[in-house]
Amino acid sequence: MTPSVSYNVSSSPHVRSPLSTGHVMYDVILALLPATLFGVWHFGVHALLVVLMSVASAVVTEFVFDYVTGRENTLYDGSAVLTGLLLALCIPASVPLYIPYIGSVFAVLVVKCLFGGLGKNFMNPALGGRCFLLLSFGSAMTNYAVDGVSGATPLAQLGSGSAVNVVQVFTGHAGGVIGCSAFALLLGGLYLWVIDAIPWRIPVSILVSFAVFMGLFGGDGFNLPLLCVHLASGGVFMAAFFMATDPVTSPVTAPGQLIYGCCVGVLSGFFRVFGSSADSVSYAVILSNLATPLIDELIIPKPYAYRDSANDAPFTFDKKVWVPAVCAVVCVLGVSVGLLRGVAGVTAGIVEKRQLSESLTAYRALLPDAVDFSIPDATQKAIEGLNGAAWGSGFGEVIIQEAVSGTDAVGAAAGHVVTVRTMDGRDAPITLSVGFLPDGTLNGILYSELNETPGIGMKVEEESFTGQFVGIPAAALTLGSDIDAASGATISSTAVVNAVNAAIDFHIAYGDQMN
Amino acid sequence: MTKRTFRGGVHPDDGKAYSRDAALTVYEPKGELVFPVSQHIGKPAKVTVKVGDKVLVGQVLAEQDGYVSSNICSSCSGTVKAIEKRRTVMGNLVESVVVDNDGKFRAVKGMGDKADFRKMNRDTIMQRIRDAGIVGMGGASFPTPVKLEPKNPDGIEYVIVNGAECEPYITCDDQLMRTHAGEIVTGLEIMLSLFPKAQGVIVIEENKPEAIAAMTEAVTMSQNIRVQPAPTKYPQGGEKSIIKVVAGKDTKMSQLPAEAGCIVDNVSTVYAIYEAVCLATPLIRRAVTVTGPAVRNPGNFIVRVGTSFRELFEAAGGLADGAEIRKAIAGGAMMGIAIADLDVPVQKASNALTLLTVDGVEEAERKLTPCIRCGRCNEVCPMGLTPQMMGVAAERKDYWKYENRLYGLECISCGSCTYVCPAKRPLMQLFKDAKGAILEARRAAQQGGGAK
Repeated sequence: MTPSVSYNVSSSPHVRSPLSTGHVMYDVILALLPATLFGVWHFGVHALLVVLMSVASAVVTEFVFDYVTGRENTLYDGSAVLTGLLLALCIPASVPLYIPYIGSVFAVLVVKCLFGGLGKNFMNPALGGRCFLLLSFGSAMTNYAVDGVSGATPLAQLGSGSAVNVVQVFTGHAGGVIGCSAFALLLGGLYLWVIDAIPWRIPVSILVSFAVFMGLFGGDGFNLPLLCVHLASGGVFMAAFFMATDPVTSPVTAPGQLIYGCCVGVLSGFFRVFGSSADSVSYAVILSNLATPLIDELIIPKPYAYRDSANDAPFTFDKKVWVPAVCAVVCVLGVSVGLLRGVAGVTAGIVEKRQLSESLTAYRALLPDAVDFSIPDATQKAIEGLNGAAWGSGFGEVIIQEAVSGTDAVGAAAGHVVTVRTMDGRDAPITLSVGFLPDGTLNGILYSELNETPGIGMKVEEESFTGQFVGIPAAALTLGSDIDAASGATISSTAVVNAVNAAIDFHIAYGDQMN
Repeated sequence: MTKRTFRGGVHPDDGKAYSRDAALTVYEPKGELVFPVSQHIGKPAKVTVKVGDKVLVGQVLAEQDGYVSSNICSSCSGTVKAIEKRRTVMGNLVESVVVDNDGKFRAVKGMGDKADFRKMNRDTIMQRIRDAGIVGMGGASFPTPVKLEPKNPDGIEYVIVNGAECEPYITCDDQLMRTHAGEIVTGLEIMLSLFPKAQGVIVIEENKPEAIAAMTEAVTMSQNIRVQPAPTKYPQGGEKSIIKVVAGKDTKMSQLPAEAGCIVDNVSTVYAIYEAVCLATPLIRRAVTVTGPAVRNPGNFIVRVGTSFRELFEAAGGLADGAEIRKAIAGGAMMGIAIADLDVPVQKASNALTLLTVDGVEEAERKLTPCIRCGRCNEVCPMGLTPQMMGVAAERKDYWKYENRLYGLECISCGSCTYVCPAKRPLMQLFKDAKGAILEARRAAQQGGGAK
């Protein structure tokens, strides 16, 4: 007896939730819309072009990859659109359009498709794209100057000690990337939280651990408005709600998600306080992405029925897995630290010598006619007399480090060099030497210590800025009229001009005794 | 007081509107009746009749063989037509007694005679339950007498009547509770007479207010029985979920409910106990829901065990206008068994025939994407497992990790993870394969060890 009709026989359950991968992605896209709309409204039509370019190139890249490699078209899962949009929100509005194009292609092609497509990438594609752009196009990626909008981001202002308007930071009127409105991001994040699209553990553990770290090590203690500025700027909300919660690259278990979130929060704080990069949060998330497989392998929750006794860990503690993993991590860290220390020990002497010859080279460059250099007693006494105090007033925190006189081949005076160090750099102190020719004109400046952020403060190193210090009379300089600030690096430019003015002042006071 | 619930769980569309208010109707079969000898967990029953024998309603066709086994009784009168292998809901061919129904339903002597269980001793009660061939009628079909004889009778704190009926579409227990509340309470009292120290708890999901009201009224006279409404959430009716809700304990796969101080039986089973003890009637009838968008008149029926599902489908008016059956399920949409055609008999544990016009599995296969590791499966697992990792391990056939690190054998196959998965991963299928392979390897190892 053969049945006339045969119905499909398959494993239960025979009904499935309406939720699909596409829904998951489109929910996130929906949650990003407030921030996107704000960005477009605030930065103008070019921001819209950046967004469209980024999304379009992400979609086209995935389509072409699927087509060329003979794969099924995967655009319907919505992940390419999301990657493009996320990336666009993480870049400044003023970039040329090839930047979002390159970023999206890298994000989709290299970070996602080449590693096996959706679900297989080991880091967040959009963040991978952003970091790629930061490393490759540092100055464009950190140029926040847009018509009518102040060039300095809230973090830059915070770093320079100037006042920051907390409300502006929250609304996004303070400048930054396209998705800079903390309020809009928070709105989207809360939406995702409410509809249960992201696990609450990740954003909460990130924000809490970051705030605690900044409170402990940020230098200002638990100052609520300051902590709010730190939380609301520099992409922390973006990371906490949208980047770190990317399910593919975050742990799948509850305890794993808490550990991962703390990892992101602490690393973000660490990089922001002690690092020199423009972007602390992106790197923190990417590093934590890399730790995700390890967290998932080590932290496997036990079934409820196995968690009864109080002294049981809530997750499987399996020596077979933990011992090798912990040993490997300790060994890698130990060997790395050991190697670094060893190398530092060997090279310390060499570095010192090179520094000496470097300063001689600098002196020669600043005083081309000089062959011999000497340190005059009078100025040396004056410097020692200052005993580390700042030189004069009105130059900020500037100390005179050294003053040397140069003599030419026949023993005639060939000018002198004054080396000054200012503590007012945007990110770190700046040390520079100023050359004075016997005719009383400046002969340029040379940095011996400059650790500003690439793309921002580092612009004071450019010829267009330093060149202004050549051939002008050694008299007090004014930023804006005598010297033009390096674009987008107002803080660093101010610090340099103040330092040069201090050197000029010192030159006026002691110049006669140096020749 | 907040209502106690279990962790995890999902909220699928319950589909109960089709049949929830359809009163129980008695359906008498016309065609042949088929009685597979294995309708329970344990050893198949031993056939005691031969072809050509005249049988009566209530007569034993196949008798219990061993401790974990169960009698199979005829539900009609007529002639034994054949003893042969027939297809069952499980899809396999099982030795079955086929009875040509004479339509008269003449019963064996003494069946239906009223008796008072309070005048019976423990052994008489147990004997009646055993003779009646009662098994768990909620789906697992574990022989009830075995459940009622735990190793620790004094340690039983709760006798739980499972009226949760969390499975989508099914409404027969709901109707049974609404209309036979008194009998169910008597059934529970019989069970409590076996465990004098225990408390009776009837757990009903909140989406059945009429049943809650009826049962609450029926227990007003009983000191040690209470009705506990539970939040509507699948799999509330799972044995482990219901123990968690009543006793607050999590149980391992290796633990019987009795080890947590609980005896759990489905509403229909408790009703069958009442019939067996007070009416001397074996398990020959049960309530069955015939439902789904493909059915013209969805309803709840009192059906004789052995009736063909096809007959039942016709009794419910057949195919609805313009509908096409895409999926036929013995049971509900979450844990029911898909059947290839309707020519299979109603068994003791068949609580529903659900006919769907959309096959969720087919749809899911079309929308399948790689796992995006969203972890929703982990959130909903009522056992606290990590289905996401189990799925990966099962796919890689890393059975050591599946069993030892992920506790994959603790899976109760409720399907919540598979239901909720946005990537439409076939998790349940993978777990069934993995569990099968592990248990197979274990059996092979034991046999290898025994041969030495």
